[in-house]
Amino acid sequence: MVDVDILLQVTFWGLYAGCIYILLATGLNLIFGVMKVVNFAHGEFLMLGAYVTASIFLLSGINPYAIIVLSMLVLVLVGGVVERLCFRPILGTGKLNEIFLSIGLIYVIQNAAVGIWGDQWQSIQSPYAGITIPIGPLSVPLDYIIIIVVTALILIGLFLFLNRTRLGMAIRATSQNRKGAVLVGIDVERMDMVSFGIGTALAAAAGTLWVVSGQVFNPYMGSIPAIKAFAIIILGGLGSIPGAIVGGILYGLAENATAYLFGGLWKDAVSFIILIIVLVFWPTGLFGEGEE
Amino acid sequence: MRLPDRNAIWLYAALAVLGIAMIIPFTMGSIYILNIIILMLVFIIFASSWNLLAISGQGSLGHAAFFGIGAYASTIIATGTGISPYITLFFGAGVAAIVGVLIGLTCVRLKEWFLAMVTFGFAIIVQTLVVSVLAPITGGWDGIASPRLVSPAVPGYLLIEYYSILLITALSILFIHAILKSHIGLAFAAIRENEIEARASGVNPVKYRLTGFAISAYLAGVAGALEIHYIGYVTPEIFGIDISFWPIIYSIFGGLGTLAGPVIGTIALTIVWDGLKAFGLTYERFIIIGVVLILVVIFLPRGLISLPEEIRKWRGSRKTTSEPEKGSD
Repeated sequence: MVDVDILLQVTFWGLYAGCIYILLATGLNLIFGVMKVVNFAHGEFLMLGAYVTASIFLLSGINPYAIIVLSMLVLVLVGGVVERLCFRPILGTGKLNEIFLSIGLIYVIQNAAVGIWGDQWQSIQSPYAGITIPIGPLSVPLDYIIIIVVTALILIGLFLFLNRTRLGMAIRATSQNRKGAVLVGIDVERMDMVSFGIGTALAAAAGTLWVVSGQVFNPYMGSIPAIKAFAIIILGGLGSIPGAIVGGILYGLAENATAYLFGGLWKDAVSFIILIIVLVFWPTGLFGEGEE
Repeated sequence: MRLPDRNAIWLYAALAVLGIAMIIPFTMGSIYILNIIILMLVFIIFASSWNLLAISGQGSLGHAAFFGIGAYASTIIATGTGISPYITLFFGAGVAAIVGVLIGLTCVRLKEWFLAMVTFGFAIIVQTLVVSVLAPITGGWDGIASPRLVSPAVPGYLLIEYYSILLITALSILFIHAILKSHIGLAFAAIRENEIEARASGVNPVKYRLTGFAISAYLAGVAGALEIHYIGYVTPEIFGIDISFWPIIYSIFGGLGTLAGPVIGTIALTIVWDGLKAFGLTYERFIIIGVVLILVVIFLPRGLISLPEEIRKWRGSRKTTSEPEKGSD
């Protein structure tokens, strides 16, 4: 009944959309793991990443995929500043305070972007636009393939960083046991800042991949994807990076399948319907342990 | 003997505000300002309803859902039956309350920020339903016309609308005050402070959480219906993220968890907001509000209402540090 070609096509779209969610959710997980902070303004970093990449591309004409590194570096700095000025003073005063502060951040960052770049929808064109690669019966845009490969490379890089470097191991130690980390001489406040910066950079990578695929963007683009990324980490387990990856792919697939079956209107609603159904039966999330 | 004093001060302050509100239409000839004040009154109810939910130990990032449901339900009932909006708005709010209980039921076992996620998503789901499945009765993205509280054909209709909205606002605040003084308010406090102890002393947290959700959704529905019957038109934008965030911002700014907090917060921020507009600022206003919100969360977590106390404390601490030897003798 359902055409296999279309099914494959929807799967590919889902994987591509999933990449954006994976990067957002992994970053959130890293931040939550270390600081136990809920930052609802995470999507604003995705938006900033998108604009930084687009601006550099429009100014210089460099291949936008190469700009991803620059964009991530810029956002590491932004993340560090936001952590130091906003989240550190309220650390440990409760989840609601963090949410309220995020709402303030959302307004500040979104409207600062409106001030700098204007609020109209924009898009840029990838140098590979229009090029497709035949895979079996499908013709897949080259951009999608690059995006999936880049996401995989970033995740492998993150894995190596967290498992093979001293800094990465210190971050993991802080995430596992903050008091223990202090006892063995780790500067946990520095780990907070570093992990917040890395999480922010991952959001910038997501923003870059968003714009290079030719999707439209504006200063308000980030809010909904970030909240969905939260839904993903609730489903996939707080602090679990493999959970974020699986959850991200599932969300990308579910959304695109829904959009195909019921129309694009339902794309946002379906993510939250899944979340609510899951939370009704598993109030602490699928892999939650009820901590925090 | 301090406590009754303070209560009296609050009572006089409330009466003074009410008195000023009563004579405002006569001192200001401008319809523009009256319009701002009417919308401010509506948001006082809305922010207070959100705040009540917070007092019951819960949170919502999607309160626009109840605001919008009240508005749509009342509009649809009023247009369908021809009954006056003055009556239908309470039925519309009833629909919001029923939906509130259903959402509350799915949420009672959740931690506060999971709850925030669910309510945020819920507003998006409701908006999607309104523009898709329910479009034949809601008008989809275009929205539908809503009967005015008082027909513009009646002389002085704007004044009648103003005074009735003022009355409903005052009654809503009194209603919340009565709830906080009743056993329900005590139970809210008990659950918020320590759920296990509350349960041990015979307070059923689930029952009171649902009560909190129902009352909060009801008042949000009243606010939504009032706004829409005043504006005369309702579109799905009423479910927007901004509409959900405003009551939160107002409550935090004024003082979370207090009766006067959302009222003071709404009045103060409305003055700031429309004052900045008078200077020709547009998106910059959001940056200023955002910065103010961040500063309040960090430096004044109990809101504007705690400012006098904080100043006293700050002065007191300065005194003791400048004369440290006083305490030793």
